[in-house]
Amino acid sequence: MIQIKNLYFKYEDEIILKNISLKLKDGCYTAIIGANGSGKTTLAKHLNALLMPAKGSVIVDGIDTKNDQFSVRKKVGFVFQNPEDQLVYSIVEEDIAFGLENLGIETKEMKTKVNEIMKELNIEYLAKKNVNMLSAGQKQLTALAGILVMSPKYIVFDEPTTLLDNKNKKNIMEVINKLNKKNKIGIILITNLLNDIKYADNAVVMGNGNIIFDDKKSKLNKNILKKAGLDA
Amino acid sequence: MLKKLTFGQYAHKDSIIHKLDPRIKILAVVALSATAFLLETYYKFVIFSLFVLVLIAISKISFSSLIRNLRPFFFVFVFILLMYIFFSRNQLDQGIRTIWKFILFIIIASILTFTTTITNMVTAIEKLIAPLKLIKINPRTTALLIALTIRFVPALFLYADRINDARLARLGNLRNPNHIKLLFLPLLDRIFKSASTLSDAMVSRCYTEKRGAYFNIIRLRYYDYASFIILLIFILLMLYASLMNLLIPWSLLPEKYSS
Repeated sequence: MIQIKNLYFKYEDEIILKNISLKLKDGCYTAIIGANGSGKTTLAKHLNALLMPAKGSVIVDGIDTKNDQFSVRKKVGFVFQNPEDQLVYSIVEEDIAFGLENLGIETKEMKTKVNEIMKELNIEYLAKKNVNMLSAGQKQLTALAGILVMSPKYIVFDEPTTLLDNKNKKNIMEVINKLNKKNKIGIILITNLLNDIKYADNAVVMGNGNIIFDDKKSKLNKNILKKAGLDA
Repeated sequence: MLKKLTFGQYAHKDSIIHKLDPRIKILAVVALSATAFLLETYYKFVIFSLFVLVLIAISKISFSSLIRNLRPFFFVFVFILLMYIFFSRNQLDQGIRTIWKFILFIIIASILTFTTTITNMVTAIEKLIAPLKLIKINPRTTALLIALTIRFVPALFLYADRINDARLARLGNLRNPNHIKLLFLPLLDRIFKSASTLSDAMVSRCYTEKRGAYFNIIRLRYYDYASFIILLIFILLMLYASLMNLLIPWSLLPEKYSS
């Protein structure tokens, strides 16, 4: 379980997150929604220990992000909004293996894992392709494969469909849903599009660095969304 | 033009150059570039260029990709030539040779980047500069910096292209110095944002300064040693010719062609 306790975060003199407390259960699909500037990406970066709380704490399966970032990052994967900026190596299969190289997985096992993940996401045909030649959808799937191959317990998706067309958007959302329902990976989806939360179990609505709503998605209503500056 | 640019990008082909150990390829690039720098006579230029052409043929790189790599430097070549024409016409010959050298440098570097993946390049540079650890320079970080620069060159051109399109859509004119400034400032902003996201993406995938394992293990094989010996013989012959001026046909030719 990921537990956020009284989290405060400020950038220069501006307070971005104010007293956030949240529990994200194992295997749960949670959508964090909010308008631009509501603090949802800042919150998401705390889950992967990319940012540290100014006050309060983020605890992933009993590990405080302030104490052991490496272990936290092994448990929580992070898929960024722009796939162009998250691929490190130029060849698809090599980029997917980047995380495994860091974890020190033996070469033979690494190759097996990379092939399995590519098969699972139906991107085997991209294995030897140059990442600069891929479409946005293919880049996003490659980025996702690079995270999945590390076998994380939770994956944070930061607006993963923003730069995709409808067909790729639908494909990515279905892949995310499958990861949750079939592979039992906890999903934390950051978005400002209500269409994207179709498969989520829970919803967290944010506005001005505060949590406005945290409950089952079915309990969301127009007033809450309006309060968060989102179209109902 | 920018959209078509594939500068320095690996192209998967089944060739002996692709299979060579990246350390040998990097050392070859250094050695060949240094030799090209020492070229003087046109005959040596021709022999050297023929050797490079053989390398291109063996590596199965398409000529159109190489030409595309040279295109962005076209204005530099024209500039060098114009400088010689206007300010040192009696040394125009020298200008042509300087441009020829530049072209050779670019082609030699392109052979490396077209035939070597970033991972292999990182591994090779990491191993070649491993002794720098003694002076507290981290080989993996340094190697990754060099490799990422190559990986992101096309992305930079893509960003520049998009910003340029946005400027033109709002009636911008790149001949106006102020508008050029408007191209570079957003481009710099985009580059810094990209670098920041990339570093976050690397950290989130457990990046450490010491790599725990290698996806592609590089190992010297018999053809690496053979290639290195062939390269060494060629370079020594070229250097020998430069130092002693002993290649017979050159000495038989009129002086104006041999210097």
